[in-house]
Amino acid sequence: MRALFSRRLISRRSLLGSAAALLGSTALPRLGFAAGAVRLVAAADSEPRQLNPAIVASNGVFFIASKVIEPLAEASYDDGGLRPLLATGWEGSEDGSSVTFALREGVSWHDGKPFTSADVAFSAMEVWKPLQNIGRGVFANLEAVDTPDDHTAVFRFAKPMPLQLIANALPVVSAVLPKHVYEGTDIAENPANAALVGTGPFVWGEHRPGEYYLLRKNPAYWNAGEPRVDEVVFRVLPDRAAAASSLEAGEIQLAAFSAVPLVELDRIGKVPGLEVVTKGYEALTYQLVVEINHRNEHLKELKVRQAIAHAIDKAFVLDTIFLGYATAATGPVPANAPEFHTDDVTIYDFDVAKANALLDEAGFARGADGTRVALRLLPAPYFNETKQFGDYLRRALAAIGIDATIVANDSAGHQKAVYTEHAFDLAIAPTVFRGDPAISTTILVRSGVPDGVPFSNQGGYANAEIDRVVDEALVTLDPGARVELYHQFQRLVTADLPLINVADWSFTSVASDRVENIATNPRWAVSNWADVGLAD
Amino acid sequence: MIRELARRPEARVGGALLLLLVAVAALAPALSPGDPLAIAGRPLIPPLTDPALPLGTDRLGRSLLAGLIHGARTSVTIGVVSALVAVAVGMAVGTAAGFAGGLVDEGLMRVVDAFQIVPGFLLALAFVSVAGPSLLVVAVAIALGAWTGPARLSRARVLSLREADFVASARVTGMHPVEIAVRQVMPLALPPVLAVSSVIVAGAILTEAALSFLGLGDPNVVTWGGMIAEGRNQLRSAAWLSIIPGLALVATVVSIYLVGEAVGDVLAGRRRR
Repeated sequence: MRALFSRRLISRRSLLGSAAALLGSTALPRLGFAAGAVRLVAAADSEPRQLNPAIVASNGVFFIASKVIEPLAEASYDDGGLRPLLATGWEGSEDGSSVTFALREGVSWHDGKPFTSADVAFSAMEVWKPLQNIGRGVFANLEAVDTPDDHTAVFRFAKPMPLQLIANALPVVSAVLPKHVYEGTDIAENPANAALVGTGPFVWGEHRPGEYYLLRKNPAYWNAGEPRVDEVVFRVLPDRAAAASSLEAGEIQLAAFSAVPLVELDRIGKVPGLEVVTKGYEALTYQLVVEINHRNEHLKELKVRQAIAHAIDKAFVLDTIFLGYATAATGPVPANAPEFHTDDVTIYDFDVAKANALLDEAGFARGADGTRVALRLLPAPYFNETKQFGDYLRRALAAIGIDATIVANDSAGHQKAVYTEHAFDLAIAPTVFRGDPAISTTILVRSGVPDGVPFSNQGGYANAEIDRVVDEALVTLDPGARVELYHQFQRLVTADLPLINVADWSFTSVASDRVENIATNPRWAVSNWADVGLAD
Repeated sequence: MIRELARRPEARVGGALLLLLVAVAALAPALSPGDPLAIAGRPLIPPLTDPALPLGTDRLGRSLLAGLIHGARTSVTIGVVSALVAVAVGMAVGTAAGFAGGLVDEGLMRVVDAFQIVPGFLLALAFVSVAGPSLLVVAVAIALGAWTGPARLSRARVLSLREADFVASARVTGMHPVEIAVRQVMPLALPPVLAVSSVIVAGAILTEAALSFLGLGDPNVVTWGGMIAEGRNQLRSAAWLSIIPGLALVATVVSIYLVGEAVGDVLAGRRRR
């Protein structure tokens, strides 16, 4: 989830930078290349400081790095939901104490060394578990990785580990690093974090800060016939208006992650040669969430939280802010995760009269100026949509007598204010659902998270029942029983409202119709693009 | 002076625009009652199509006219407050430096130099980033980059006034130097500073708009810069969202410059005579 602040969007600094980028844009990639080489140019809206996907598992990093460094498996539209990449198969032991991976043979690193189980064991024990933002949680109980032979890796866990969770997490947490490059070095500072070495379809070319990333075809890729383009260039275009005009000018062929603003989609969809693609992000659902500081004497009252939930007109949010490119949220698990989602939860209809009645009942009468309480509202600055929702929520709260003052911060300031200093009453966050509630969802409400962990429960909320369900699901092996626990989790969260889920949204791509094989898997933008082609 | 000004066409045009702006700013709550950030209708209604919302609505359905009217209030407030702060601080520093002379002068003028080296906009940007955006912080941030002009001007004026006979006689009567500086010298150093203050007001309004454009304005009030920034994403499909507040900004700044220019000319003409 670090995703956002590294890549998103109009932080004040990036805006300043974007002006500079525009000035410099005439100097863009006129790199020499072989005649007839097929080059795909995509827009990148940020340059993550740390580009190693095994350390920072975030969409901003994957967008570029996943083409070079591959995970054990990628998400897939097929049954089972996974396509084998570096692992060809996996099997859990009955007691949940181990998972055995069969690894692909005949794979070599970009520097020519063979890929073996030692690389997987090293990545898991030295990188994913101790260093990675998400792996830290998923692999918390990982004790050891045995390597009986070069193409088998056995993960041993101290507590029972649901195979369902491991499988759901694989595309995100399992980017494999070359042991021979990283062993014995300071992994977080290794130069290979900037000039990546992997097994993927593309080899690291170069990065010119503020200009572009260049990746070249890996001629020795394990899947013969791929990749289908010779070069991928990520042109740094932090300015969203620039992405749209570059597409129209034919300078780039692809703008993913809604780099083209929603209001422009209608118009740009009609431009000949360009198409708007809404598929390919199903496993990257973002959630528009109102985070609540339960330390506030008003917000710790359930009736006040219920009143806020009733004051939000989700239809307005979907139609006006997201222009229909989102769905109303029922709870902490989005509907496009059918495996875990349930509709059988408490739903809060838009009902201002009821919200006012709830606040009256709670004993917060309107003062002479019509105001009941004053609150600070901190919208996350990463997306236009979170900022616009902040403006909307301020109005919606005014209708029920809550005077919200918007506190605007840049990305770093917002992180600090909400997740470290807790200097907020309400905050608006774009959290991510990553295919399994245990990966990055339950941490939003589980108590006992240390201060400073971004996108976690920093509102001081504690509910023993929710904690129990969350903990039990972590060690429940039977998928059915586990799903039932998460249904219960959704019911508990919507009943007690530790936070308010408003909408679930995904992204869109705009691409030239010459680009082939767009959206071939539910994490397409952050997958390896080995099968992407570019017609003449 | 007023009569002299009224003879100049640029002063008449500028003055009329300026009066209109100040009137709109002062009467904003009466002209457009309620919260200008309230959602007034469907989003993205084009201008001149709906009589209830003559300038149309923005992305969230907020009235553009209400935003324009209340934005004028913000702009005028920011312009006047930051010019006041800048002139007050600049006069105080300039007079002190010019009147005291010696080390005090050297020291104060090096501080002025230090502030002049840094572009005012960057200074404001840095200050607001650290202190957090609110109306007062923005005004102070802008004044931070604008007070050096008045300081230099008043110092130069004080340097020549200091040697005047009336100052010498004030000394002889035993007046305290601070009293001489404040009561005898400062009022005479004021006119040239007032002449540049119009430039400071115009600059402050522009700087505020630029800060808001970059997302560093106070998010709880409407500002023209903020409106332009929000409209920018729809520039291709709803250009009026940026153009209308942009025109308001241009008209305001031009009118202030016209009046400032005319005032400067009149003052210069008088001095020549």
